Amino acid sequence: MKPVEVQLLSKAFETKEGPLLRKTPRTLVAVDKISFSVSKGEIFGLLGPNGAGKTTTIKMLCTLITPSSGDAFVNGFSVMSDQQKVRENLGVMLTGERTLYWKLTGRENLEYFAALYHMEPAYSRKRIEELLGLVGLKERESTFVENYSTGMRIRLSFAKALLNEAPVLLFDEPTSSLDPQSSRLIRDIIRELKEKGHAIILTTHNMEEADLLSDRVAIVDHGKIVTLGPPAELKEKVKSNDIIEIEAKNLSDRVTEALESFSEVSKVAVSSADSAEEKGLLRVHAEKGKEVLPRILEFLVRKQTVITKVSFIEPTLEDVFIAETGRSLRD
Amino acid sequence: MKHYTRYPGNFLIYLFLPFLFTLLIFGMGRFVGGGDAALNFAARTGTTNIIVYEILGSAVWMTSWVVVEDVGVALRDEQMKGTLEQNFLAPVNRFTLLVGMSLTDIVITTGIFFIVVGATLAITLPSSLLSLIPAFLILLVGLIPLFGIGFLFAGFVIRFKEPYIFIQTVNLLFATLTGTYYPVTFLPYWAQFVSGVLPQTYVIDEMRQIILANQTLVNLYGSVFVLLALALAYPILGYGIFKRIEKRAGVTGEFSKY
Repeated sequence: MKPVEVQLLSKAFETKEGPLLRKTPRTLVAVDKISFSVSKGEIFGLLGPNGAGKTTTIKMLCTLITPSSGDAFVNGFSVMSDQQKVRENLGVMLTGERTLYWKLTGRENLEYFAALYHMEPAYSRKRIEELLGLVGLKERESTFVENYSTGMRIRLSFAKALLNEAPVLLFDEPTSSLDPQSSRLIRDIIRELKEKGHAIILTTHNMEEADLLSDRVAIVDHGKIVTLGPPAELKEKVKSNDIIEIEAKNLSDRVTEALESFSEVSKVAVSSADSAEEKGLLRVHAEKGKEVLPRILEFLVRKQTVITKVSFIEPTLEDVFIAETGRSLRD
Repeated sequence: MKHYTRYPGNFLIYLFLPFLFTLLIFGMGRFVGGGDAALNFAARTGTTNIIVYEILGSAVWMTSWVVVEDVGVALRDEQMKGTLEQNFLAPVNRFTLLVGMSLTDIVITTGIFFIVVGATLAITLPSSLLSLIPAFLILLVGLIPLFGIGFLFAGFVIRFKEPYIFIQTVNLLFATLTGTYYPVTFLPYWAQFVSGVLPQTYVIDEMRQIILANQTLVNLYGSVFVLLALALAYPILGYGIFKRIEKRAGVTGEFSKY
């Protein structure tokens, strides 16, 4: 059995919506029958927009949320029936900086969690020393976490996930809110962990990160895996089309919808490029892009769109997402 | 322990609250009860030592408040800090977490109880100072069922959030029903029935009997036996209900909700 096996895992939340006394029950399917596995020494990326079901999947894997149906196995232990064993085999970093005790120092936080993982004091001291050095917090180990910067808190949270040297590691958006330097540090450590044979699941809405780190990526949308494979293979699938990226102002839904009616255009997705300047980023997947581009530009100009930049680009995982869902990851 | 000591305000208030409550009751008796208040008090309670009688009630009530609130609110506190899920990710059972999160505070509060009651006895009734030891033993046994009540609240808090509404209301009811400031025998019959199933009633009564009436634990065996039975029943019941609610919270994803 592989370190992680996910079999038709689903989660539906029952909610009540509406004003008091007139609430109506509603079922929200967060994860819908997803299946995948992760091997030893593999980084598996779960890529999708916010609300796609990535965090719910991670939380089911680490036993914080009970699945509605299906099962998942961590090192052979079921999240439904062997929860304690699952936790022993996991190192988890959840999103956010408020996952630490702010009135404790960085070192004290790690000492507390080491005790929760039943680590021998002598071994935990050595391990904490190692981890503080690894994430660059050795010099600030005696500072209260409340005086840390956001990046330092996230690095400490990351170190916490590595404390028990678990065979399976789950990282939920590990580099969100980090500066480029810290992000690079975390990515390098994740690669080293892969070399050491850890099975790693990484959730992110950052396609560059998923592309850079993952051996395989599952693109998730509305709780379902829409496609799964190595990033290069996934990108290869959308290479049959040219991808035109147009940065423009005054983009409206009507304009983008009209573009889709062009016979050469297969998909159009728009996302915000610069919210301060109200610029939009239009991605057009089209056959014979060079031939159709003048018509597209002419159409946009006619619709009083102000074009600031046009380029042909290599496909990214974002384009895979657009091809599969018709929407941008950054919607 | 380190985390608790970085919020020192709590301990200071525990040190002074029993005296403040006792002064309040003493003042009410003296200024509202009139000239016969002390005589009436002695006739109804069997002791003339108003201060010790009231301080014992206040100190037990305060300790009970701390245990029920700490165990009940521990998870909510962690939830608000954002650390609850981190604790739940560790391979530690929930019972250990619930008790562990509140234990430091409870040990310190119990220590404060010892100081408060000990100091009061040393000043007002030095001849009974030794009886503090069996009385303290009773308090320690009495903490066990309180943990059970705390577990029950921990469950309610996960489900309904808003912990302080529940806990403060119930703790005030405890003061009314457990003989904190007056004998429970003066309560209406139905209220006495409720008193009879609350562990604090026995703790307060037994401590007063030991300290103010020179009774021994052997003399009080019937009451001690009931307290022991409650010490067994409450944790089993409380933890059972907590586990049911906690299981449900896993289904609804309550742990990460504020």
